[in-house]
Amino acid sequence: MSYQLTRPTRLGLEEFARLAGIHPDLVRRFVVLGLLEASTDSSGALWFVPGQLARVARIRRLRAGFALNYASLGLVLDLLDRIAVLEAERRRAARTGARTWI
Amino acid sequence: MPPAEDFYSVLGVSRGASADEIQRAYRKLARTYHPDVNKDPAAEERFKQISEAYDVLSDPSTRQRYDAFGPDFRRVPEDADPATWGRARAGSSRARSSRSWEEEGFPEGVRFSTGSAEGIDLDDLFGGIFGGGGRRSSRGPISGPDQEVELELTVEEAYRGGTRKLTLEGPGGVRNVDVRIPAGVVSGQRIRLAGQGGQGSGGGAAGDLYLVVRIAPHPRYRLDGRDVIVDLPLAAWEGALGASVPVETPGGQATVKVPKGSSTGRRLRLKGRGLPNPRGTPGDLYAEVKLMVPHRLTREEERLFEELAGTSKFNPRRSR
Repeated sequence: MSYQLTRPTRLGLEEFARLAGIHPDLVRRFVVLGLLEASTDSSGALWFVPGQLARVARIRRLRAGFALNYASLGLVLDLLDRIAVLEAERRRAARTGARTWI
Repeated sequence: MPPAEDFYSVLGVSRGASADEIQRAYRKLARTYHPDVNKDPAAEERFKQISEAYDVLSDPSTRQRYDAFGPDFRRVPEDADPATWGRARAGSSRARSSRSWEEEGFPEGVRFSTGSAEGIDLDDLFGGIFGGGGRRSSRGPISGPDQEVELELTVEEAYRGGTRKLTLEGPGGVRNVDVRIPAGVVSGQRIRLAGQGGQGSGGGAAGDLYLVVRIAPHPRYRLDGRDVIVDLPLAAWEGALGASVPVETPGGQATVKVPKGSSTGRRLRLKGRGLPNPRGTPGDLYAEVKLMVPHRLTREEERLFEELAGTSKFNPRRSR
């Protein structure tokens, strides 16, 4: 087992697919379906931020758990993201904003 | 492995449930306990049980084998005869077991295919992400989901910080985690415990566990962010004449100077005596004046108040 000294800020398709444990073609398909965010450089190669690895894990868990197709997974992911944002906002409001008479 | 619970009760269906009922029960439970939907650490284990139960009961042939042989069905050779097996089991372990499949006997007309009793691929049965999900999931490591639990603290604990022993449920049973709570946490703040969340599968890393702080209601203190508000009961004459009185704060006793002419509702600030702030200025403590009069007056007190009433022109109901 080897350890990286610094975390790379972006990952190429092959490296990303290897770390995610899925085939590069599937990664590409996820990007086309809008399930993963990727940037494209001038040569057309895809680049990923490491945070997207957790998203692949979530896609695979949800797919295994619910037998969802990839299109409906996109909706589920968006809704879960929105819930996370709303919950964070609610926490922030509890922390700084309105008085809480507790 | 935790003690095997009956698969039918895991799904909440009767032993005679139809395939549709089993599927319906599973879908409902999966939506409730899926670790990406339910962030409670206890949901992870529950979801595994639900998936394993569904995996077994949704397949007619494994369901038959489960009905016949019980939780050990995977260890029973595929060509075993249920009746013979049942007698052997009953003889060896009658005393400890009262499972219903023994009491009910074996279903009529159950036939078992006599295939080659090749070794059951345990990796296929348990290697999937969630219990028996092996067939439905692709191979390769999947990192675990993040989880959240609420951490209830008293105002004093939030003030002082310190360590807290947490007991977490998870696969592999209950584990204890020591958590360092920074001084001055507030409600809604999250404390991240890296790698303490949901388990990964196939060698994937575990997710993170977030403790969401909630500060418990306190009999004396109210919180507004990092400011602490506390009632300051004063005798009517202390409010009128001014006084120096002790007040309890989360950090210990402090003295508050009440200026002359303080009525109920006036807030006296003790700067920096609220909750500490690890990144900036601490909150303030506000002592909120609450004027009190004796419930029962002595003869002398009554005389003095009557004298005051006769002398004073003060009318609190007249607008200033």
